[in-house]
Amino acid sequence: MLEITEVNPLREGLTSRTMPDPCAVVIFGATGDLTHRKLVPALYNLAADGALPPAVSVVGFARRDKTDEVFRKELEEAARKFSRQKISDDLWAVFASSIFYHRGEFDSLEGYQSLAKRLDELDAQRGARGNRLYYLSAGPDQFPIILENLRKRGLNKERQGSWARVIVEKPFGTDLPGAQKLNAMVQEAFSEKDTFRIDHYLGKETAQNIMVMRFANAIFEQLWNARYIDHVQITASEGLGVEGRAGYYDKSGAIRDMVQNHLLQLLCLTAMEPPAGLDANAVRDEKVKVLKTLRPIHGEDVHQHVVRAQYGAGTVNGKRVPAYRDEQNIGMGSTTETYVALHINVDNWRWAGVPFFVRVGKRLPKASTEIAIQFKAAPAVLFNVDGQTIDPNALVIRIQPDEGVALRMSSKMPGSSLRIEPVKMDFHYGTSFGKATPEAYERLLLDAMSGDATLFARRDEVEEAWKFVDAIRAEWEKSADDLALYAAGSWGPTEADELIKRFGATWRRL
Amino acid sequence: MNATEQAPIEAGFPVEIGRIDKELGKLWEEVGDTKTRASLVNLAIFTEKADSVAANTDLISKIASQYACRALLIFANPAASQSEAKAWINAHCHLAGKGERQICSEQITFQLDGEMISALPNIVFSHLDSDLPLYFWWQGEFREPLDKKLWGWVDRLIYDSAEWKTPAEQFQLVRKIRTLTEVRTILCDLNWTRLVGSRFAIAQMFDHSCALARVGKIQKVSISCANYTAGLLLLGWLASQLGWKLQPTGDCFLSGEGKRIDFEIQTTVGPVLTRCVFDCEDATLEIWREANSEYFQARIGCEGISDGVMLVPAGRSELADILVTELSRGGNHPLYRKGLAAIDALF
Repeated sequence: MLEITEVNPLREGLTSRTMPDPCAVVIFGATGDLTHRKLVPALYNLAADGALPPAVSVVGFARRDKTDEVFRKELEEAARKFSRQKISDDLWAVFASSIFYHRGEFDSLEGYQSLAKRLDELDAQRGARGNRLYYLSAGPDQFPIILENLRKRGLNKERQGSWARVIVEKPFGTDLPGAQKLNAMVQEAFSEKDTFRIDHYLGKETAQNIMVMRFANAIFEQLWNARYIDHVQITASEGLGVEGRAGYYDKSGAIRDMVQNHLLQLLCLTAMEPPAGLDANAVRDEKVKVLKTLRPIHGEDVHQHVVRAQYGAGTVNGKRVPAYRDEQNIGMGSTTETYVALHINVDNWRWAGVPFFVRVGKRLPKASTEIAIQFKAAPAVLFNVDGQTIDPNALVIRIQPDEGVALRMSSKMPGSSLRIEPVKMDFHYGTSFGKATPEAYERLLLDAMSGDATLFARRDEVEEAWKFVDAIRAEWEKSADDLALYAAGSWGPTEADELIKRFGATWRRL
Repeated sequence: MNATEQAPIEAGFPVEIGRIDKELGKLWEEVGDTKTRASLVNLAIFTEKADSVAANTDLISKIASQYACRALLIFANPAASQSEAKAWINAHCHLAGKGERQICSEQITFQLDGEMISALPNIVFSHLDSDLPLYFWWQGEFREPLDKKLWGWVDRLIYDSAEWKTPAEQFQLVRKIRTLTEVRTILCDLNWTRLVGSRFAIAQMFDHSCALARVGKIQKVSISCANYTAGLLLLGWLASQLGWKLQPTGDCFLSGEGKRIDFEIQTTVGPVLTRCVFDCEDATLEIWREANSEYFQARIGCEGISDGVMLVPAGRSELADILVTELSRGGNHPLYRKGLAAIDALF
């Protein structure tokens, strides 16, 4: 019997990050869009970058009947279309040989039994070590049965020297009770350390840079508080409509689709205190503290602090687009919001009195996600007297597209008169770091394989975020009278402009 | 190659040294808003080969497309009869992102003739982009006496041990430079960087449980490399990572368990690593690269492994890619220093 050293000593120090252990990645819902557009291209790119141990295998689990060859061919077509890097025929041939298809019904134990056998065979063939990463990419209504059957077949169990982990795609529940129920179900099968709730925004380089920018640059952190910051604006605008997601989106709406997860995560990264360390729990502890300090918005307050709206017909990028209610598979009477603007208070010492304005919407003039820190104006004693207005400083973190950071400041215009104009110091990722940034899913898959949960949401994070959102939705469910309308291609309803105006601010022009 | 007095006209248009900043400023005023000047580091390149100016300019252009920098190319011609210093400026512009904007890096080329070579530190320091780190690529061999004024400012010293005729002496000088800078300077040997793909590939082969189980059973390592020094660096990495100690006889290592490990290094034509074979007690593990292939093939010759050949990316091997790899990585090279220490006596 050969003695297996658990850690490959030749891996040590090869890169600045931990290399993942060989494992089998089992994708439930393998015939879906996410597998084709994101997951397999991400795995291929990792393999092309040499970041994936060759012993990794990918097993697609789905209902349809197909062979490994057919499955590989479908994935190849998708990878050629969606991969960040050009597909090399040679490498794809080898990568494809690590992809397998396993037919099974989510609700039938038989499929899991045969899956267990197949995974053991693959371990032996490919020299993997019994490690399993299950990716729940099926519809959320299927999560409970998949988790239950994984548990019943013992596929969730860590065997000696190996691990079993699960990645859960969003939506993680549709409200707090749903999320709690799902969390309980997940935890019956997997411990918290082995549970990876994915929020792909956290895998974006720019989102990861928020902590670096705040805590590795002393000049910002000194000013990062109520004394110097007037307000914060977080925007996620989309030019697209519901596209192929009408069924899901109409039930979800903007607040559940975007605010509960992505935007509250960005808010947490902006508002959190420096963590005690960079380990997953230290970072997530600080994010949870922020969520716990969000002042709840409920009852009548919802109408004061939240605006919801739905797009009507309009023009986006020179094209006529229909109203939301005229989109395919959307009911005529739908009251689902496609736009939300919120005024949020973070009730702690650092942020007392600083409003956070969050807006998200579909069919807006352009796609852009950013965090803008609006600083207080300089005292009106020297230059901004006699009616001369000086724009206060603004620090803008662009999450996507055109990732980067810009600082707006005031500068004297050349000439004999004293004219002051805003100028921008702009850092573009694309300019400074020429190489293409990896896709968020590449980073997140690698982290899950390496057991690093820093960029994944913890149970209490998800539940606190739902608690905040549910209070708003409870008021909305009473009546949809407050649902405003905005023309597609505009920057949202006038009600949202009025909301921010009450605090002496205006929405940024993106 | 003999130094010549021919002006390196490929390097841009000539400027007076005292007017370099003004001329660069004018250059940017002329191009207006369509181009953005960018720089992450100062990259100084020193060469004594006159015919390498064009090649270096081409290389800087390739590097700048991926890693914006201010490049200072210094061609020294100590054999020149007259002492003179000349300069040229140039910009390398590349479309960035979705192609709306051009990003440009500046290149300043100097020719230092005769005794003007002594002005090297001043020339470098007076044309740095302030507050950015200084990466200094010394092409060729180091010579004594070492100029503390120059080396004391270098953040990252780049060299290529593959080009050295006397590696033992050169490594001594590199260590000395590091002591001059109170160990602040990071050493970057391009011969080591070129091995990144090879080290990844070998490490990946050992990810396989059958290979990993044989780490303690290796009896001999045979390496075929493009240069002997690269073979030694690879051997040093293996020895330091696997806990092998070089024996005083210099012909073998002893493992942590006291087992003897022989080694053999051959120089071959082709990529930096063409083959590496691990003979174990009960198996043979082998990694090799065909000519012009972008991949290594790995075979795990263990009982029960039927489809033992794996394909592993070999990494990029163009000089510009190697340089960009080096420029893009932050931090130190601890494995390099550990590896060097493990095979120091073999130079």
